[in-house]
Amino acid sequence: MSKSSEALAGEIKLHRVEEFLWEIPRQGGMRVPGRIFATEKLLADLKEDNSLRQVMNVAHLPGIVGYSLAMPDIHWGYGFPIGGVAAMELNEGVISPGGVGYDINCGVRLVTTHLTYSTIQQKMARLVETLFSLIPSGVGSEGAIPGLSKTEEKRLLRDGARWAVAQGYGHQQDLDHMEEGGALPNANPELLSDRALARGLKQVGTLGSGNHFLEIGRVEEIYLSDVAQALNLFPDQVVVLIHTGSRGLGYQTCEDFLKVMNQAMAKYGIQLPDRQLACTPIKSPEGQDYLAAMASAANYAWANRQVIMSQAEKGFLKALDISPAELGFSLIYDVCHNIAKIEEHVVDGQRRRLCVHRKGATRAFPPGHPQVPKAYQGVGQPVLVPGDMGRYSYLLVGCQAAMEKSFGSTCHGAGRVMSRTQSKKESRGINIDQEMARRGVVARYQGRGTMAEEMPHAYKDVAEVVETMDLAGISKKVARFRPVGVIKG
Amino acid sequence: MTDKQKAIREIEHTADLGLEIEADDLPGLFASAGEAFYGLIADPTEIQPKEEISVSATGECWEELFHAWLCELLAQFNLKGFIGKQCRVHRVEPGRVEARIKGEILDLKRHRFYTEIKGVTYHEFKVWHENGKWRARVIFDV
Repeated sequence: MSKSSEALAGEIKLHRVEEFLWEIPRQGGMRVPGRIFATEKLLADLKEDNSLRQVMNVAHLPGIVGYSLAMPDIHWGYGFPIGGVAAMELNEGVISPGGVGYDINCGVRLVTTHLTYSTIQQKMARLVETLFSLIPSGVGSEGAIPGLSKTEEKRLLRDGARWAVAQGYGHQQDLDHMEEGGALPNANPELLSDRALARGLKQVGTLGSGNHFLEIGRVEEIYLSDVAQALNLFPDQVVVLIHTGSRGLGYQTCEDFLKVMNQAMAKYGIQLPDRQLACTPIKSPEGQDYLAAMASAANYAWANRQVIMSQAEKGFLKALDISPAELGFSLIYDVCHNIAKIEEHVVDGQRRRLCVHRKGATRAFPPGHPQVPKAYQGVGQPVLVPGDMGRYSYLLVGCQAAMEKSFGSTCHGAGRVMSRTQSKKESRGINIDQEMARRGVVARYQGRGTMAEEMPHAYKDVAEVVETMDLAGISKKVARFRPVGVIKG
Repeated sequence: MTDKQKAIREIEHTADLGLEIEADDLPGLFASAGEAFYGLIADPTEIQPKEEISVSATGECWEELFHAWLCELLAQFNLKGFIGKQCRVHRVEPGRVEARIKGEILDLKRHRFYTEIKGVTYHEFKVWHENGKWRARVIFDV
């Protein structure tokens, strides 16, 4: 059967560019076409929401180059779709806080251990309980670092994960395995509001709520054995995934700058189809201030994940009563999936410096790229894609095609298919603990409401999402992890 | 179901949560929105009106004022854990809203927590007057 060259999602007509790449042609005020990586099945799911309209809206932003892109985990967000990528040229282009999101530098890190699941299976309940007691989670969770002063908080905002390591949380070598070494250099904490700073004071080292989690997984499947070997992965290995961001400090910073930009847009003659896309020129004082404030919040997120990782290491040592050498807690990589980065890309044959917004999308640089850590130069940048908490998560590596087709970006997660309200309705009558146990997962959580919203039925199958990007040549599957323990807010 | 509950509708949104609120007048709109907002965070039937706080917000037009109002409630929750049960809006005028809110500090041991709200978005955000009623539509990032 021949594959159709066109598709209709709601009233939006798309034509197929490649097997897994679809284009929405320029129309109305769109400055560039929209492009969506998806299978026909994933595309069909999008008929129900407004995410493709949001891809079109993003294409209206001044200075956007190439395409307004969407990854296969695209779903309806606010302003930008979640799973959206937009690259702006630096002279005429804009920066949009909504294109980064409220949770600035929300991201994921993957830690490997020397342990196999079969050797710790009997101790999982104790391990999860210990981690839950050491890592504050839930709404307004606080208290991992008591007594942080404002002066110290500002140091943290400048130095990111480096600050955490200097305080004894983790190890120097961890810094080599993070985007930007765990700190963006242009941070200026003085640009954050008092309210943002106040919200940040007590939340360093906390998971928060919503879809954030710490997951203990086991390596269930290896797809590329040579790459897996280079990353020290082996079958049945115990790994840890940490998914969280900049907490209240980041949310407040986004809110503060949305207000600034909404007021400033008229001054720059910018008109947009959605106020949540509020933006100003990158070169404008407001744009520069946002970039420096965003960098501060991004650094907070790196410090947060670094402290949580260190607390998790302590939890493993305590619960399993083993030595650090036996545990072998080692950071593979830490990725951001809500961020704007200044990067070099080739557009129409010319090398250009661009501001790449990734909102619910992950950087996926190929082997040999100068921004890939030395240890991964031969295999490409590790990409971490958590699924829903009951199924599986993936480790991928970036490929050259990502530089050519997606501004070095790939997917970031499963992508929701069900609203939170609907998910809670579907969860009624389900014993969540029993359901998780049936799936082989020991779970500890603060609120049943969050768990009900985040049940696996609310998400696309992440396998189809990563498969799409694998077949499109953007990122390659290296390994799949099966969750065996989870703590959530 | 009370009239107040009938005038509030949760919007189905794939990733986030939203509300549509309808009221006879602006104080009613702000008060209903505030109470509905708290109802997204935790079960309102379990919240007791133990203490009262004063909240005010400023904004250049009704939309900005309504947005600032919800941001202020969110900030009070985030900074102090205060969750309201009854909002009494005693002054709404161009540029300013003032209210007194009865509620208590959220206690996860006693209160059923629903959702952490990260932000009050401008996506499809709208405040309008139609057929003698004030209406608002807002989507929260959660």
